[in-house]
Amino acid sequence: MTHMHIPDGVLPVHLWLLGFVLMALVLGLCLLRLKNADLKKKIPLLGAVSAVMLVAMSLEILPLAYHINLSVVAGILLGPALGFIAAFITNLILALMGHGGITVIGLNTLLLGSEAVLGHTLFYLLSRRMPVFWRTALATMVTLCIATVALIGIVSVSHIDPELFSHESQAPGQGLAHGGTISVSRFATMVLTLGFFGWLIESAISGAVVAFIAKVKPDLLGHALHRDKFDGDNRGAVR
Amino acid sequence: MIDVARIDHWAASGSGPFHRSSPIAKVFFLLLVVSAAVIAKNPYALLAGYGALLVVAALSRLPWPRVMALSWYAAVFALLYSLSIRGGFLIRALFIVKAITPSFAMLMVIVSTPYPKIFSLLGSVLPEIIAAGLFMTYRTLFILLDMMDNFAAAIRLRGGFSPGSLYKNSANISQGIAMLVVRAVERASRIYAVMVVRGYSGSMAEKASVRLHPEDWLPLSTGAAVLLLVLLWK
Repeated sequence: MTHMHIPDGVLPVHLWLLGFVLMALVLGLCLLRLKNADLKKKIPLLGAVSAVMLVAMSLEILPLAYHINLSVVAGILLGPALGFIAAFITNLILALMGHGGITVIGLNTLLLGSEAVLGHTLFYLLSRRMPVFWRTALATMVTLCIATVALIGIVSVSHIDPELFSHESQAPGQGLAHGGTISVSRFATMVLTLGFFGWLIESAISGAVVAFIAKVKPDLLGHALHRDKFDGDNRGAVR
Repeated sequence: MIDVARIDHWAASGSGPFHRSSPIAKVFFLLLVVSAAVIAKNPYALLAGYGALLVVAALSRLPWPRVMALSWYAAVFALLYSLSIRGGFLIRALFIVKAITPSFAMLMVIVSTPYPKIFSLLGSVLPEIIAAGLFMTYRTLFILLDMMDNFAAAIRLRGGFSPGSLYKNSANISQGIAMLVVRAVERASRIYAVMVVRGYSGSMAEKASVRLHPEDWLPLSTGAAVLLLVLLWK
C-alpha cells in the first residue's frame, strides 16, 4: 500500500531530494550495521526475498487497486538492516520497469523500508506465546496502518508545488481555476478506506507465510540478527 | 505481471541504433527525459515529447507497441492519484503524461540494454552488497516467475481455486507464496554458490564503459530534444 505511484515532477523538488538524502543516510547506517555480517549467506536470502516482494508488488488485487508488499515478511526474515536494503532494491527494480517514478525512489524506499524495520521490531516485541500467525498478522496490521499515515503525511506536506501550475490562467482549456491544490482529506479517505481491506488481506497472507516458514524451514527465522530472541520456546509457539 | 523475461529477450537480441549506444549515454538520455517531466507545466509539450520518443523507438526497431503498452501501466496509478487533486482535465492529463513519458524512456533503456551492462554500471556506483543483492534479485526473479506459473497450474489441477470460497483461496495462495519464498531461497543459495565457484566475487565481469562514442548521438539528441521541447513550449 505504501509504495507511492506518484509520477516524476509532481512532488516538490525539495521533498524528493530530502527523500534521497534520508534514504542514503539510512542505507549507510544499514551497511555499517552489516559490516561484520557473513554476507555470503545473506546475499542469496536478500535476492530471494526481494524477488518475492517484486512479484507480490506487481500483482494487483482487484477491485481495490491494492498490491501486497510483503515488507513485514522481509523485515522478519532479513532483519531491519537487510530488510531496508531489500526495500531499496525492490523500489529500484520497480522504477527500472517503469512502475513508479524515478524521483520518488528515495521516499518509497523510506516508506517500504520503515515497514520492514517496524514490522521486524513489532514481531519481536509481541509476546512469544502468541502463535506466529497472529504475531505476524498483528505486526503487519499495525505497521501498515502507521506507514499509511506516514504516506498521507508525505502527500499532505507535498502541497503539490504551486509553481507547477502557476501558468494555469494562460493555458488553454478549462477547469484549472482551482488547479493544483491537493485535497488531503479526500486522498486520506480514499487510501484509508481501500487500504483497510488491503491491510486485512496483507496481514492474513503475511501471517500465513511466516507461520508456514516457521513450520517448514524455521532456520530462516532464526538468523544471526535476532537468534537470541528467537531460539528457545519460539518453535513451540508455531500453530 | 510485468513480463521481465520478454524484456530481457528484447534487450539481448536487438541490434538497432539504440542497442548499439553505450549504457552511460542512455542514462544521460533518461536523466534528460526525467528532467523534462519534472519541469513540465504543459501536458501538450510533454505529450509531444512522448510522441518523439515513440518515433525514435519505432525507427530504432525497438518493440514500440509493447513498450507503449507497458508505459501506460504507470498511467493507471497516476490517474488514481490525480483523482485526489482539485483540478480540471489539463492537470489530470499533465499527471498522466508525467507518469508515462519517463516510464517510456526507462523502458526504452531497459529493452535495449542487456542486464549485465545495467548491473555493471549500477555496481560501479553502489556498495557491493547492494549491487550483489540487485543482481541476485534479478536472477531469482526469473526462477520465481517460472515457479509461479507451475504453482498456478498445480493449484488449478488439484482444485485449489474454489469460486466463492475466499478463505480457502486465500489460504492456498498464502501457502503458495510461502512455498515460493522457501524454494526461492534454496534456489538463490544454489545459484550464488555456483557463481562463487565460477569466480564471482561481488562485481560483474563485464565492466561498464563510461566513455561516450559516436553511436551515442541518438539517445543524447533524443533526450535533449524532449527537454528543449518542454522548455520552449510553455
